[in-house]
Amino acid sequence: MATRTSWEEFSKGLWLDNPVSRQLLGMCSTLAITNAVINGIAMGLAVSFVLICSSLLVSLVRKFIPNQVRIASYIVIIASFVTIADRFMAAYFPPLSKALGPYVPLIVVNCIILGRAEAFASKSTVARSLIDALGMSVGYIVALLILSSVREILGSGTILGYRVLGTWFEPWIIMILPPGAFITLGILIAVAFQIERKVKQRS
Amino acid sequence: MRLYRRMLIVLSSIGLVSGALLMSVNIFTKDRIASNRQKEIEEAVIKVIPGAKSSLRIYEEKDFTVYQGQDEQGNVLGIAINTAAGGFQDKIFYIFGLNAQLTKINSLFVLDQKETPGLGAKITSAEAFLQFWEGRDASQPLALRKPAVKKDALAPNEVNTITGATISSRAMLTSVNAALERIKKLKQEGKFSIEGSNGD
Repeated sequence: MATRTSWEEFSKGLWLDNPVSRQLLGMCSTLAITNAVINGIAMGLAVSFVLICSSLLVSLVRKFIPNQVRIASYIVIIASFVTIADRFMAAYFPPLSKALGPYVPLIVVNCIILGRAEAFASKSTVARSLIDALGMSVGYIVALLILSSVREILGSGTILGYRVLGTWFEPWIIMILPPGAFITLGILIAVAFQIERKVKQRS
Repeated sequence: MRLYRRMLIVLSSIGLVSGALLMSVNIFTKDRIASNRQKEIEEAVIKVIPGAKSSLRIYEEKDFTVYQGQDEQGNVLGIAINTAAGGFQDKIFYIFGLNAQLTKINSLFVLDQKETPGLGAKITSAEAFLQFWEGRDASQPLALRKPAVKKDALAPNEVNTITGATISSRAMLTSVNAALERIKKLKQEGKFSIEGSNGD
């Protein structure tokens, strides 16, 4: 693990270990909130904030936490950052906070964050944990952006609320409903695996 | 024993630190959050009472809040009822304005809903649904009209349904009728009073 360069540490979150397309973590919020690009961005930023802060803190205090209470400690740390993000959004971006609804408090149980705390930050230096969290965050945001763009364009004919498809386009309502989330995510994962296989065959 | 003590100390101190942190975050944001909520309702009240510049809460019970709206001189222009209908998925929170005599609906506005996008969610669209509530006669119970079946002009107490979203339309109608009945009863019982001069 220590042989990885900083760039490798960062970029694995983008592709090789992408939290959505490869690790398949945090699916609940990923499926639920990607019905509009703005929600995807907001959720991506909220998760990134929590992920980066908690990875940093967990790696900072990793030597003081007894093994037996580590999960409880991580959850308290994560929950604190989630509450901060939730209150901040409610105070400064009320429409976004309303659109995301219960999915912001639910970041507490988002497996990406606990997964990175347990699998990486609790065993790595502060700098490496920070790089890892940044990579995972960017990977998560990119995945949400792709999902929510596809769903908003096909489901509403708009992107960030601006009409991109003409009035001839009859929106596929199913794409902004839950089945659309599963369809889009399924296709995204399939495409990611296919590309990966092609790359492996070539090398 | 040493391990237990260490576990206890570590977990308690993490709890204490995060408790203190959250407390300060709460102090920092709570006024803003409360004022956002207040502003949202205030704006909605002013929207459903034409000409109103400010509002005042005059009656409150669960899911049924009554506001009065007044202009700059303090003349009461009408009242607004903030209530909820039993929608297809979840409660539909909405607000509607009446004139001070409770005989006419000014307009209706949906605050929060989780109806099916593209079908029931059209209750938030002015074009498809909300426009039909404007100026309805509230002295008698309202009724729904299916625009595809009945082509003649709307009666003063009729509202067009949304094609394909009968459940959501009917939920709104039932709730508005119940709210009208409730407000008239409250007025008879003298449970609320409109403050200031009546400028209608």
